[in-house]
Amino acid sequence: MKEEQKQEYKRKYEQAKQDGVKFWPDIIYKDLLMSFGLFILLVGLATFLGVTPQPKADPSDTSYIPRPEWYFLFLFEFLKFIPGKIEWVGTFLIPVLAVLALFALPFLDKNPLRYWKNRLAGISIMGVIVLGMVGLTIRSVITTPKQEEVPIADTIQEQIILGQEFYSVYCVECHGPDGEGGEIAGVEGLEGVVLKSISSRDEMYTRSDETLEAIVAYGQQDLGMPPNGLAYGGELKKAELEALVTFMRYTWDDRVDIPEDAAAARAIPEIKEGEVPSYEVHISRIAQRYCISCHRPGKENNEYLMGTYQEILTTGDNADNNMIAGNLDSYLIQCITGESIFDPETGEEIIQQMPPTKLMREQYIKIFEAWVLNGMPETAVEAELLTSEGQTE
Amino acid sequence: MTQSIFSWLDERLGLTAIYNTVLDRKVPKVNWWFTLGSASLFLGLLQGITGMLLSVYYVPTPDHAYDSITFIMNGVQFGWLIRGLHHWGASLLILTAFIHLLRVFFYGAYKYPREFTWFTGVILLFGALGMGFTGYLLPWNQRSYWATTVGTEIAGTVPVVGDFILRVLRGGTDLSAVTLSRFFSLHIWIFPAVIIATVITHLYLVIRLGISNIPDKDS
Ligand code: HEC
Ligand code: HEC
Ligand code: HEM
Repeated sequence: MKEEQKQEYKRKYEQAKQDGVKFWPDIIYKDLLMSFGLFILLVGLATFLGVTPQPKADPSDTSYIPRPEWYFLFLFEFLKFIPGKIEWVGTFLIPVLAVLALFALPFLDKNPLRYWKNRLAGISIMGVIVLGMVGLTIRSVITTPKQEEVPIADTIQEQIILGQEFYSVYCVECHGPDGEGGEIAGVEGLEGVVLKSISSRDEMYTRSDETLEAIVAYGQQDLGMPPNGLAYGGELKKAELEALVTFMRYTWDDRVDIPEDAAAARAIPEIKEGEVPSYEVHISRIAQRYCISCHRPGKENNEYLMGTYQEILTTGDNADNNMIAGNLDSYLIQCITGESIFDPETGEEIIQQMPPTKLMREQYIKIFEAWVLNGMPETAVEAELLTSEGQTE
Repeated sequence: MTQSIFSWLDERLGLTAIYNTVLDRKVPKVNWWFTLGSASLFLGLLQGITGMLLSVYYVPTPDHAYDSITFIMNGVQFGWLIRGLHHWGASLLILTAFIHLLRVFFYGAYKYPREFTWFTGVILLFGALGMGFTGYLLPWNQRSYWATTVGTEIAGTVPVVGDFILRVLRGGTDLSAVTLSRFFSLHIWIFPAVIIATVITHLYLVIRLGISNIPDKDS
């Protein structure tokens, strides 16, 4: 800028100051009002939107779609347009030039004029850049696929319940519903192997949470326990392993008390004399706890799946005989009461007792029997109807 | 009585002089867009306060970071509010600082004699972005872990020295406890120190040079 232009600017600026206002209180008042408004906005955001909970970092879960803060999104989106071979142009050259240009703006822009109509070139360049950034941000938000929702169990209660589910699916077949162990039966490759209890004091008092998590993640592969952690070829993410360990600790360790509501949520409801059980309330939970570990796809189980109501009624090599309404000779009832089923022609044993290791508690067997006798109702409502019919008769 | 205490203090601290130069000065008539600088300052201070409160419970290790945040959200009185303010405040600060930049650009306020004010402003903008980048990792959740993995990977593509930068940022080849502790110290010591020094310079210049006027048609 030339000396006379500087003088001219200073003169005009002094004039503007003379025609202006006092910093205190005129300007401060606006500033405070603005800041106060933003503060209210922030309190609103924190209260009503909050901070969305995220699952814990899990280096083994490489399926996670990276999502940077929104103000970096435009950069990530921009990089997608740069071919891989010259990636560094997008990640290094252009950003560095842009930053330098931003710093040096007052020296690059030699135009002494300030009113926007007198600086149309500069204003347009900046306008295009800003619109480009906004456009790229929007594009990024639209094109990034939604992250698959993983259940996040934050409270101990939620973790115990989630852990129980995992234990039922992944562990019961070998370790039994209560971690009691014993001789394995009905599991390919481990028939007859005797397992120690993993719910004993010995186990709970000498294995820390970290140790248990490592055992579950890596397995004990030489002894026949498969790995469960994603990092070792299993299916469970870090947060899920932690939920599983929390479940084990709170249910089996007699030094910690299980929170009451968690205990209630995982309890299998009992039935009163004459009450008809339903799939929804009773059978699904018993099956989950005692059977699903073997009776899910990919296991040796005569193709008998127990994941849903339909599956229980209609699958299995002996589907015709497994569940017969009102008939206690149904194969399922026979085997859960400890009787093996033999092929009527060859006389060979085709189904052993269920669960193969140890029969369920008497009360659960009773629930199954009452369910079959009453025609296997699915919902609690149907079961209630049957109950009241039974009582009026 | 108050009068004599005041004059005793004034004689030693120069309160009247401060009042005259900082508060009781003439400024040109300006509009609401000129409040965004002080709004950024306010949000910056709020980040400082909420950040200090968070650091009471936050533990910067991979084993405990996540749980300590969960505890802040569920176990600490008003912890959710403090974290919520810090979380949303960060985004809002970037937004206000950026719009502040745009208004400075639009009115040509970066021109003589305010070139250096602009220069310190750019440092502040990148300081704020750096705070955002390092702060994002601290909760040690899936989002932060993978965003930082990709973010540092990008630094690794710089020609020649990329690999070196990547190792310095991560403190090794992978994200680890070292990375978290580096980001934590950047987030609570190094960036804030740079930002505070720069804000002081920025404000000194704003007061020294006076706030610019809204340009008229022939300027
Ligand atoms: C295919 C069978 C099988 C499955 C499924 C299985 N385990 Fe194991 N588990 C074993 C065997 C075999 C051992 C070896 C210990 C033994 O011989 O008693 C073992 C040992 C253990 C131990 C004790 C290790 C020690 O030394 O303290 C724990 C705890 C354990 N398993 C937990 C689990 C959990 C939790 C699951 C479910 C995610 C699971 N296991 C699933 C077979 C299995
Ligand atoms: C440790 C694994 C295991 C558990 C636990 C288990 N089963 Fe089985 N189940 C099997 C296997 C293996 C077969 C295949 C027949 C055989 O080998 O005896 C089978 C077969 C059956 C069949 C016959 C299916 C057909 O169509 O041939 C029924 C019915 C059955 N199970 C019911 C149950 C019920 C009810 C439970 C839970 C209370 C249960 N099972 C728990 C392993 C298991
Ligand atoms: C944390 C970030 C920032 C804070 C706290 C801050 C603070 C302030 C304050 C309080 C003012 C007084 C005038 C006004 O409020 O508009 C101001 C003016 C100014 N700021 Fe910033 N600022 C920040 C970022 C920036 C950025 C990113 C730039 C541009 C690159 C910038 C450039 C300027 C310039 C040139 C002025 C003088 C404007 C004038 O006199 O009209 N500032 N700043």
